[in-house]
Amino acid sequence: MNTLRSLASATLASLLLAPAASARINVVTLPGRDTVQLTIYNSADLTLVKETRVLTFRKGINKLEFSWANTLIDPTSVEFKALTHADEVDVLDASFPPRVTNTLEWRIKSEFAGEVKVEIRYFTSGISWAADYVAEANKAEKLMALAGSVRINNNSGEDYEQAQVRLVVGVIRLVENIAQLAQQGRPGQPPPPPVATPMPVTMAPAPRAAAMRGMALADVAGGKPHEVVKEELGEYFLYTVEGRDTIPTGWGKRLPSFRAADVPVTSYYKFEKERWGDQVIRYYKFTNAVPSKLGKEPLPDGAVKAFRTVTDDNLYAFIGSTSVKYIPVGESVEMELGADPEVLVKPSLMDWQKTDMKFNEQGNVAGWTIKQTWQFELQNSKEIDVVLDIRRNFAGDWTLVTAQAQEKVDATKVKFVIPLKPREKKTFTYELTTRFGTNATK
Amino acid sequence: MKTRLILATIAATLLAAAPAQARIKLVALPERARVVVALSNPTATLVEEERILTLTKGVNKVDFSWRGVNIDASSIQVRMLSHPADVKLLNTSYPPNENALIWEIASPAAQEERVRISYLLNGLGRDIAYRAVAEQDEKALTLRNYLRLNNASGEDLTDAELSIGYGAPFKKSIAHEEVLEMLSERIEKLPIKKVLRWDSRQQPWDPEYEKKTVGIPLNYIIKNDEASKLGTHTLLPGKVRIFIKTKDQAAGEGEAAGEGVAFTGEDWGLLTPVDREMKLYIGQSREVKVTQRKMKDDRVNLRRNNQNQVILWDTDEVFKVEIENFKKSPVDIVLVQHIPGYWKMKESSHKYEKKDAFTIEYALTLPAESKGDKKTTISFNLEHLNVQGNEPANY
Repeated sequence: MNTLRSLASATLASLLLAPAASARINVVTLPGRDTVQLTIYNSADLTLVKETRVLTFRKGINKLEFSWANTLIDPTSVEFKALTHADEVDVLDASFPPRVTNTLEWRIKSEFAGEVKVEIRYFTSGISWAADYVAEANKAEKLMALAGSVRINNNSGEDYEQAQVRLVVGVIRLVENIAQLAQQGRPGQPPPPPVATPMPVTMAPAPRAAAMRGMALADVAGGKPHEVVKEELGEYFLYTVEGRDTIPTGWGKRLPSFRAADVPVTSYYKFEKERWGDQVIRYYKFTNAVPSKLGKEPLPDGAVKAFRTVTDDNLYAFIGSTSVKYIPVGESVEMELGADPEVLVKPSLMDWQKTDMKFNEQGNVAGWTIKQTWQFELQNSKEIDVVLDIRRNFAGDWTLVTAQAQEKVDATKVKFVIPLKPREKKTFTYELTTRFGTNATK
Repeated sequence: MKTRLILATIAATLLAAAPAQARIKLVALPERARVVVALSNPTATLVEEERILTLTKGVNKVDFSWRGVNIDASSIQVRMLSHPADVKLLNTSYPPNENALIWEIASPAAQEERVRISYLLNGLGRDIAYRAVAEQDEKALTLRNYLRLNNASGEDLTDAELSIGYGAPFKKSIAHEEVLEMLSERIEKLPIKKVLRWDSRQQPWDPEYEKKTVGIPLNYIIKNDEASKLGTHTLLPGKVRIFIKTKDQAAGEGEAAGEGVAFTGEDWGLLTPVDREMKLYIGQSREVKVTQRKMKDDRVNLRRNNQNQVILWDTDEVFKVEIENFKKSPVDIVLVQHIPGYWKMKESSHKYEKKDAFTIEYALTLPAESKGDKKTTISFNLEHLNVQGNEPANY
């Protein structure tokens, strides 16, 4: 533990006789944490910390001091609860002493003398987690192995040793920012001057980091990766990392979450001039479902590195870095992999006619119709099967005539989905008629 | 070599007992057994290196660090090659303020494990340079394709297998700050098409009114297909320098007789996937003269509004193109004509191809010395319909 966090208890009886100013620092015990649980959210800078300690109470009024200098704990969130002898231990009040930041005192009335297991719970900012994925497509790019990991970063100012780690996948609402509340040091206070802010991690002295290196790794036993157990929790998903992990402040830790082999994948290419100009954008398309060897849980949003194995001994070709959105179970996913010049979509306007001229009473042109013939040249220079998704946007009173199968996406958008074999070339055409002025019928 | 791999193997019991000292229990520095550099992605260099780790039974810590090398830390992966089913990566830790990470690897036995570490490396620049020597008849050329690597990555790559995504990989060493050029492909007698391209929007119509002789852009066209002895991979973008064979040079003072070449021009070759054409604009020809004139430009079928203003009309247009070839050999030429709006061709002396709604092309082979009375003359008569003066010329 690097930050000075103390939990001190003192009996009121002795304190009452002492001068008020020194009473608070009458430290009796400094019990260590017995267990600590971190519940880390990825949608907000928020972690719920739950720790248990064993305190020795005397009968009567006990005073407990809890302080958290150089950390990012939200002072409004600190809670105390007795886990044993709960009906004999009552919190009378909590006070934030004057002229002191990052400290609170509980007055606790105990009917019991002896050891009591207590739970202290609070929010902290500065701990985050994120999912990331490695997609490994086979040579034909029909199947891929998808491996998910979770990476936890601790920049909270506090070392959490032997902690149980739980990760929440979901979007929660916060009306105030935990990091700001933490800076205030005490409820309802303006933020303290900069000297009191937590030390940025980047300024942590190197020797300490080196000393921590051994400690960070001291929590693996049994030689098995900690399994990440997933459960549904209302609108959220809770990932519980089995076992205990130590994550000192400043450190990050990445744990494997799942690996699915032979996930069917389609090389899906999109063309939409209004979005990407002349470029054809490549996607890997797959479904987070059981038939696709996935579908056990939603996949949190995260960064993806995509590779293709190109040799018999599984050497990689790097395809690209991308990210995926949150993917519920059953949802189809498109992983964007950037432009691919080896697939060509070339639309050409082959004919343009202005016809059906109409005139108004003044003799001016009032209505006309434009007829366009478009030809699409498609070419797959790759050695793999691809599927093209071509979208065209039309405005006004338009009608489309084509022999090519198409789907109307909305009032102004049409989609053509066309598979291409390796090295295949195709063309298709459509005729677009647009009526203007008095010729318009809708 | 700036990346460093420290293997610290510690029995699990020791870890639990004395975590802080555990790291220095045993340190091994396994050398690289193999380095593969994949350059197939034009925007990223992927390095895969194999090392043999000597693992003890239980949990082993492997410390991978780098200094002065620009590695994308989020891309670092380790894969077990010898016992992928039994030897497991437990987790990865990232210490603060260090270019390092620590893998915890569990092994069921004391054994050697070949591992493959992959990462994206910045600073390894690559260029493709093409050198082509055309035959004197300009119907074929010899194409040499060079890969030029500029290693500013901070890393010395020793006996690395360099792969550009096609062909056999090169096994080379390239030190930090070294530039290395390798011949990656050589194709003999690659057929090419030499075409002059006269564009009515780019070139002056009447050379008589120009102070200098008008040059017509000259292109070599290479098709990336099997018929051209290519077609196995995308041609990467790069500068193409083109030379042409001259008469063999006689043996000179201190020089043996040899093939003479002259430089004819260069262009940037664009990325050319299989079955597509690389068009190289290498210079201008002044041996061909094109004169285009509009011989008729009438408005017809005028329609007026109540204020007697012309609001709609058709046209009747006649174009004449005269082409002279002063060369002693036939020449292929393409004439590009741009015709905006709604039009119909009424008559044309030669066959043309409609490239799009507003462009037609005449492709001709001009006979040798077809000049003066023997010049080639094209004429075409077209009409524009329903003209208002706001017709599109592009799309």
